[in-house]
Amino acid sequence: MEFKKKTLSNGLDLIGEVNKASKSAAVGFFVKTGSRDETKQINGVSHFLEHMLFKGTDKLSVFEVNEAFDKTGAEFNAGTSWENTVYYAAVLPEYLEEVTNLWIELMRPALRDEDFNLEKNVIKEEIAMYRDTPSFDVIDKCQSLYFGEHPCGNSVLGSEESIDGLTAEQMREYFTNRYAPNNIVFACAGNFDWEQTCSLVESPCNQWQSQQVERKLSEAPGGRKKKRIEKANLVREHICLMSAAPSAQDEARFAASLLSVIVGDSVGSRFYWELVDKALAEVAVTHLSPMDGVGVFYNRICCSKENVSTVLGIVEDIFQSLSKNGITEDELRKAKNKILSKLVLDNELPMGRLNSLGSNWIYSRQYRTIEDDISAIRAVTIDDVHSIIGRYNPGEFTQFSIGPAKTS
Amino acid sequence: MAENFDKHSLKNGMVVLGEPMESVGSVAFGFMLPAGAALLPEGCCGASNVILDWIFRGAGDKTSRQLSDALDGLGIHRAGGVGSSRIVIGGALEASNLAQGLDLYADIILKPSLEQEQFELARQLAIDGAHSLDDEPRQKVILKLREQFYPSPLGRSTVGEIDELKILTAEKTKQIIENKFSLSDTIFSVAGKYDFESICRQMEDLFATSNHSETKDEKQEMRDDGQTRNKYLHIDNDGAQVHIGLMTETVKPTDEDYYNARVAVEVLSGGMSARLFTEVREKRGLCYAVDARYHSLKEAAGVMCYAGTTPEKAQETLDVIIGEFKRLCEGISEAEIERAKVGLKSASILQSESSSSRAGAIGSDYYVLGRVRSLDEIKNRIEQTTVDSVLGFLQNNKFKDLTVVTIGPRQVTVK
Repeated sequence: MEFKKKTLSNGLDLIGEVNKASKSAAVGFFVKTGSRDETKQINGVSHFLEHMLFKGTDKLSVFEVNEAFDKTGAEFNAGTSWENTVYYAAVLPEYLEEVTNLWIELMRPALRDEDFNLEKNVIKEEIAMYRDTPSFDVIDKCQSLYFGEHPCGNSVLGSEESIDGLTAEQMREYFTNRYAPNNIVFACAGNFDWEQTCSLVESPCNQWQSQQVERKLSEAPGGRKKKRIEKANLVREHICLMSAAPSAQDEARFAASLLSVIVGDSVGSRFYWELVDKALAEVAVTHLSPMDGVGVFYNRICCSKENVSTVLGIVEDIFQSLSKNGITEDELRKAKNKILSKLVLDNELPMGRLNSLGSNWIYSRQYRTIEDDISAIRAVTIDDVHSIIGRYNPGEFTQFSIGPAKTS
Repeated sequence: MAENFDKHSLKNGMVVLGEPMESVGSVAFGFMLPAGAALLPEGCCGASNVILDWIFRGAGDKTSRQLSDALDGLGIHRAGGVGSSRIVIGGALEASNLAQGLDLYADIILKPSLEQEQFELARQLAIDGAHSLDDEPRQKVILKLREQFYPSPLGRSTVGEIDELKILTAEKTKQIIENKFSLSDTIFSVAGKYDFESICRQMEDLFATSNHSETKDEKQEMRDDGQTRNKYLHIDNDGAQVHIGLMTETVKPTDEDYYNARVAVEVLSGGMSARLFTEVREKRGLCYAVDARYHSLKEAAGVMCYAGTTPEKAQETLDVIIGEFKRLCEGISEAEIERAKVGLKSASILQSESSSSRAGAIGSDYYVLGRVRSLDEIKNRIEQTTVDSVLGFLQNNKFKDLTVVTIGPRQVTVK
């Protein structure tokens, strides 16, 4: 594996990790923008804009774009989060040039009014689809409750109202400000030729105008907030508990990831033994979500409405015991094994490497090999995990629940 | 590119398959046990899920907790699930830990503790899983569609029926395990970094001495009286969308026309330029999610389609989808066929880089076809398809007789 890097005069970073042993390559643009960079008035614009990039350029119609992608057989997609919008494709080496050229073109989209108006329907359908997916909806709503007025509380999809109110002009303005080369990283991983790839990117992307781009970072309010909503058509209680965690730039994120596995891995964790193994809840898992300057742990639980108070009582006990007694060496050892084997598996594919490459760069302008991550996990001590528990107190959580009517 | 496969039959009849992969440090493995939903006795729908949980609750000399700790200690990324014919258990891990992993899995298969108390918990979790399906209409519509489309018991729910789970007993479940965990009918597959000879030696030692009975597989009668097919089922749910599932019969993987069918489905819904995405989403903005895919069991196959849309657009969405299914046999362009072929070929090659997906693929190839297809064979057969061959296939095998299921606040009319 060989790391490569270049910065264009307008600030666009090009990074790559060459692995000639791969059968394929993965390529992507990582744009440092998401719902936390939106105002309430334009909430949902980052995600909507991600859809609009596929609608074509001044030269290409939406149908031509779709055909051009499908001609290459690429597995391609895009995703928007609270703080990043990522466009990516995994492709056979012989089609890499075509796919890369296509992404470069699409990064300067036409954003036509008629496409915007039609795609609004699709966005509203996506919002409706997630309303019918309580396991997703509860996390989104919990994050909004946890962050309150902090911009990380903005929903990624926006609401039907915010999408209705959004204009194409507002989107074009947002695009100009956020899709500036100095706010974007181009990344490539797997079997590709670095010089050749750079030569594709450099000339067209050098035309892009840099902008004054910023993201205001601030502390998250968090705290012990609690809210429940009822939906008559649901049969299970969907619960999300969110608490503070290290950010994506914080070295403590490795210890925090181990803590999340110890508390709530899908098998063999404390949640597993106390809740799932005992059939009190069918889902009880913990995830770490390290973000730009902030971070959260979120715990997602699904159980019957009869079990809610028992389950939440046990969760309180688990967190109290963590604060009081900490974790054991054995728990730490097992958690390390799990994370290490997942790291190795995830990174065997160029797509896995691309994700890691792009996100490390976007958060810290840092290249990390798999070995760097493996060493960082191995180096975590029991004291490191204890200091995470002491510093973040995961028992201090915001709670959001969606469930059936209580009286029924 | 790994195109050479390893194959060995153990003395007990279990087939061991392997695909070496040079560029990975991991290994993935899976046991395909003949205890899937369709093979269960009547009245036990969901027992496979209970079994899948129960056998991990202690095995050999280890308690549930010790077993879980041992698996975690090896860093096994566990995978598995219940299919129509098979329960699959296995996972992926760092290659040097494979031998220890297999020791544990041999105990799980041959010597599960199967304690009564643990049974109650496993059963309760299966019941809860079936309940929680009601909150995930996108998944539920697909399960219901399979139930409606495939002749019984092939389409039986892989999640289970709550009423049948409630009366399932430990004794009955033990009996199912005893009858169904037939080693001679089990396929073991492995892909990644491994030493085949030493795997075979170890597997022979672990499994040959067992006195596990030969298959006592009472053949399930298939009931294809035409009563279950071509029907429309609606399940009322006051959600935000109408979730539409639609399925129509097509050829099985063993059929001469299999690759023509795969290319045809790819033209319909392979990429963003395919018919469904273009007509339903790009031109009309009716849906966010719409797709169709080839779905097969060993005994039957179909084209399975899903779309989710708000109630006022549900009828139009269904009409447009059915229109595209029916229109496909009327004409396909060269460009469409080319894109479909590139898409299918690329997908096969891209998936071939993952040890987990290869271990699964060689196992299921062997189960369905009795042999493992090489990547070259798949590529060549896709390459051989033409506009004429695909259209010829479609004209002889029209997409008609649709089975439709909807879940949501509004019914549709199947025209």
